[in-house]
Amino acid sequence: MNAWLTAAPILIPMLTAALCMVAWKHPVVQRGLSLLGSIALVAAGGALLSIVLNQGIQVVQMGAWAAPFGITLVADPLSALMVLIAAVMGFCVALHALGDIDPVREKGGHHAVFQILMTGVCGAFVTGDLFNLYVWFEVMLISSFVLLSLGGLREQIDAAIKYVAINMVATACLLLAVALLYGVTGTLNMADLSIRVPEVPNQPVISAIAVLFIIAFGMKAALFPFFFWLPATYHTPSVAVQAIFAGLLTKVGVYALMRVFTLIFTGDSGWTHGILMVMAGITMIVGVLGSLAARDLNRAWSWQVVAHIGSMVMGLAIATPLALAAAAFYMVHDIIVKTNLFLGAGLVRRLAGGSTDYARLGGLFKTAPWLCLLLFVPLGSLAGFPPLSGFWGKLLLVRAGLETEHYVMVGLLLVTGLLTIWLVGRVWAEMVWKAPAEPPAMAISTLSFGRTYLLILPLLLLSLITVSIGLQPERLLNLAGQVGHSLTDTSAYVQAVLGTTPSPQPTLLGALETEAMP
Amino acid sequence: MTVFLETCLAVSVGLVAIALVLTAIRVLRGPTEGDRIVAIDLFGVLAVAMIAIFAIWLGEQVFLDAAIALALVAFFGTIAYARFVEHKAALKAKEPSDG
Amino acid sequence: MMDSLILRTGVRLLLPLMLLFSIFILWRGHNEPGGGFVGGLICAVGFALHALAFGVRAMRLLLKVDPRTVLGAGLLVGILPGFVGGLLSGAPYMTSQWLGAVGTPLLFDIGVYLVVVGAILTMVETLMEEGED
Repeated sequence: MNAWLTAAPILIPMLTAALCMVAWKHPVVQRGLSLLGSIALVAAGGALLSIVLNQGIQVVQMGAWAAPFGITLVADPLSALMVLIAAVMGFCVALHALGDIDPVREKGGHHAVFQILMTGVCGAFVTGDLFNLYVWFEVMLISSFVLLSLGGLREQIDAAIKYVAINMVATACLLLAVALLYGVTGTLNMADLSIRVPEVPNQPVISAIAVLFIIAFGMKAALFPFFFWLPATYHTPSVAVQAIFAGLLTKVGVYALMRVFTLIFTGDSGWTHGILMVMAGITMIVGVLGSLAARDLNRAWSWQVVAHIGSMVMGLAIATPLALAAAAFYMVHDIIVKTNLFLGAGLVRRLAGGSTDYARLGGLFKTAPWLCLLLFVPLGSLAGFPPLSGFWGKLLLVRAGLETEHYVMVGLLLVTGLLTIWLVGRVWAEMVWKAPAEPPAMAISTLSFGRTYLLILPLLLLSLITVSIGLQPERLLNLAGQVGHSLTDTSAYVQAVLGTTPSPQPTLLGALETEAMP
Repeated sequence: MTVFLETCLAVSVGLVAIALVLTAIRVLRGPTEGDRIVAIDLFGVLAVAMIAIFAIWLGEQVFLDAAIALALVAFFGTIAYARFVEHKAALKAKEPSDG
Repeated sequence: MMDSLILRTGVRLLLPLMLLFSIFILWRGHNEPGGGFVGGLICAVGFALHALAFGVRAMRLLLKVDPRTVLGAGLLVGILPGFVGGLLSGAPYMTSQWLGAVGTPLLFDIGVYLVVVGAILTMVETLMEEGED
């Protein structure tokens, strides 16, 4: 039963997508399936997390092939936590899409492709095999390309081509890195790799491969030198797609970095984690400056996505249990807040009649006071106002930084936080308090009753989660602590995947040839 | 395998390889679309020949299946390209002022 | 659509041959090179040729079903056999079950075949409809 639960995060959205495609001609059926599938995924994610916390790391070998040879699915605390959060985001966005998505995109297969995207995301979280991870990245890339270009506006196609171009380079890098690592060690099972990599005699090669992984996952996560594609593409697709992209996709890159640089590449941490540290610092500052320069709500939030990626990677680069816990906590907080912000920006655009240039917005408090209250939660959490979730995330990161005497990084983090508060203040003043420049083109009340609720409910749910994390941080803090512990002491992970018997020394291709020669 | 057969195979591999290079040049340079289409078709045929030679040389039967598959689908590209050219000509005929 | 008697006659003869060959490749993929992906490609090219010679509408009439439905059905056929092992003996997902020479991996391959056919024909249909209008 537990084995099936571990595979469920992949199987549920995949089945939902297949059923949606069979019902291609009936959007109503697809809507129902999408919602049901999302709910089932949330349930599976919750059950998986509770089992992992109570019974330890869950492992299942696909097709019953033994560990280093077949594909392993592993659910450790970090994986299970990420699956649950991804599932909750998937549910909220699927709900929002029911009210928001236009018929053209729905006919184009939005629901099916969205479920495939969720398959890719969850697959990347639970896989224990590097090549399989690459495959899930590919699944995400293809489905996100379709989601970006659904609707077929010129601006969208333009953004989609940029997005695919940069992601193809990243995927090629990843494939190259995976191939090189396989050539050196003869295995791609992550747990097996964590044993084999330190045994490789030529350690500089391992460091070079590690840098390739930083480049590949850094592009996916939009780290400093590779972030430029994100603000150029994220504002073009439909609101639901924006929200899930901003909330989840870059974080899968961060998750992959966290997995690889805590489990496999830990030998030369002065070099690799130093690179990560520098990249994280610059990413934070560049991201927040970009967000201040943007005059458009969606673009500003896109830059904010970049800025906060830096904070998470900072936690990874410090790599103490506390710092990793902080990174995990921050990731959960950021996924929820960013999804919420993009959904909120979509609502604001709907109210303002198509514009999100926030200098031209205004008077939101008069037209929709309740929406303002809802928007205050993610905005405040983004800025890190206590007691919302962002405050705890920052506090943990600062403490982890001070403990290890990374004063520059802590300084950068605090400056980023201050500039974010400035941005939030400016947005609030312009959008909510300022007198409207012109009368609002469309009030939310012109929508039908049911659709209004479909649009508002996800925001409400996400804001509630943010507030409850903020008011009762102990549970998530404990969980994050467990994540941090399991990431620093990976012996349990390796033990769970490989079992007690050590795997036989793999036969390298080169060795095989020399043996065969007379 | 006799020496004679082996020599023949080596020579034919060389010839087909040269032909492939020349065809590739024609595809890249080909002053007209027609040249390119014919060259692409020829390229497919040469690739089939190459695979067949290797099938004999290495004694691998499965390579022949690859050759059959390629022979069956290779001219699809040619036809699609030809259709594209025809389509473009039809569009031009519709708007003579264009271009 | 191309008005070419040679092409039309050729395609009429070739299409059955290609379908047969694609199924042969699918079946052979069991133990030797081949499999659902290549077989599906050959099958899809056969139908695409038919679309080039006789037009997209004629191809749709020949295919009877929407290529997207083929895609979805293929995904289902690919996913569902993975559960069989679990239902019979509680083995993990994708554990193969055999009944003589036929087993769940073959069903999985048929799923891949259908997905490839469906995906390629969806593309062909969309691109060529745009050209014919």
